Amino acid sequence: MKKDVIQKLCHAVLLICMLGLSGCALGTAVQPWEKETLARPEMTFEGDKLDNAYTEHIYSSKEGASGGAGVGGGGCGCN
Amino acid sequence: MVSVSTTKSTVLGAALVTAAMALPSLQFASAETPPERGIVSFKYLNYQDRQGIVSQTGSSTSGVNTISGASSIASSGTSGTTSSGSQDRISVNAYSVSALVPVAGKWSIGTTYTSDSVSGASPTYHSSGLTTMKDLRRAVDIQLSRYFSRGSVSLGASYSKETDYISRGFNVQGSLSTEDKNTTLTLGGSVNNDSINPVTQPGVEEKKQVAAGLIGVTRVLTPQDIVQINFGYSRGTGYYSDPYKVNDNRPGDRSAVTALARWNHHFDDNGTDGTVHLSYRYYSDTFGIRASTFDAEYVQPLYKGWTVTPLLRLYTQSEADFYVSAGSAETADPTQPTPPPTDSIYYSEDQRLSAYGAITYGLKVSKQINKDWLVDVKYEQYEQRAQWSLYGNGDKGLTPFKASSIQVGVSRQF
Repeated sequence: MKKDVIQKLCHAVLLICMLGLSGCALGTAVQPWEKETLARPEMTFEGDKLDNAYTEHIYSSKEGASGGAGVGGGGCGCN
Repeated sequence: MVSVSTTKSTVLGAALVTAAMALPSLQFASAETPPERGIVSFKYLNYQDRQGIVSQTGSSTSGVNTISGASSIASSGTSGTTSSGSQDRISVNAYSVSALVPVAGKWSIGTTYTSDSVSGASPTYHSSGLTTMKDLRRAVDIQLSRYFSRGSVSLGASYSKETDYISRGFNVQGSLSTEDKNTTLTLGGSVNNDSINPVTQPGVEEKKQVAAGLIGVTRVLTPQDIVQINFGYSRGTGYYSDPYKVNDNRPGDRSAVTALARWNHHFDDNGTDGTVHLSYRYYSDTFGIRASTFDAEYVQPLYKGWTVTPLLRLYTQSEADFYVSAGSAETADPTQPTPPPTDSIYYSEDQRLSAYGAITYGLKVSKQINKDWLVDVKYEQYEQRAQWSLYGNGDKGLTPFKASSIQVGVSRQF
């Protein structure tokens, strides 16, 4: 299982690098003056911090899976 | 231990995140730019979950016990049977306050405090043996960020305390953008040190340590499209069992991988001015749990600062390798937990480790009152069922599990 996990990680890193390097291939570069829409809060991935904290905490207390969006935070003895 | 509580002081770079909070009037180019104004936010949460009545062919009753229970055992059971044929489990009342302050144009400090009051009843095996509990969780985290022309670095610390559980965490995160700022690489890492003191076992202290790492790429595709891919890995060692459940002995080692893909698209051309958020997460761990999560929400601005956001979430998971389903004897008489197989080292009858599917739907309504004040309300309804599992057959001995929650928030910029 450990080997499996390492293999998956390697794939992940490889994919990330490819995505980064092939940036240009993913569409023509968007210019700074075209970013007005992208600057709107609803176009970011961060969202409402307190809402996300509540929601993620509820799901990680009631489901087997958790994480994925970021690192950090505290554990709990959730039943 | 405390159930559902709420904080999960989580969140990568609290400061980064707070900077981009739901304040439609402000325009943050990205999380890599320092906040121009300070923000103070408050949010209240009310949560209630319930389950179907455990059907039984025997003559015994499935009431609420007050034995061997969770955290501080409540003086009287708060669980009741409702007329609709469901039984209340846990209720949570929580509030959080957070603040983010920009410092000298290149720094920011963010902090969040959460108080989380949990009470109700929790099963000791499968959907049965409900035992009352009551606890208060308090959590605080702090985040310091430094911004550069093409990136940012943040350091964070978190602490949370319950009657029987203390968690301490540290995290670091950095991001670096290409010159045109269309591609951003994010790296993050965290460590957590937890101590567990089960109230039913005075003098016993268990430990758990978890280290996690994350790598991600965010890419601007068009003036209306942005995508993100994150890969995460976590490894934990220590006490993973639930001290308040019967027949529960889990491995002292858990590794998990996650892959998350997100896509935000804005509808400019057709005049709705709305934004759709789509995301998919794959999760796999050494307990044998695999899970898929699909999220969709649509943000629709209306007149005079009003915004409505309907949302849908679909989730499914496989069972843990050591999950023990409810046997026929337990189905006939729910007061008798199913004994684990005699040759098994690890076993658990925790519903959360079984195979099931879940659906959430909800609606958020917010109103930007003026350039300083924002208020919002969010309602969500959640349901888990064994037969909705897409990864293997669910445990037929479990009853459906439902939850509803409401959040009310207000924030002010300075």
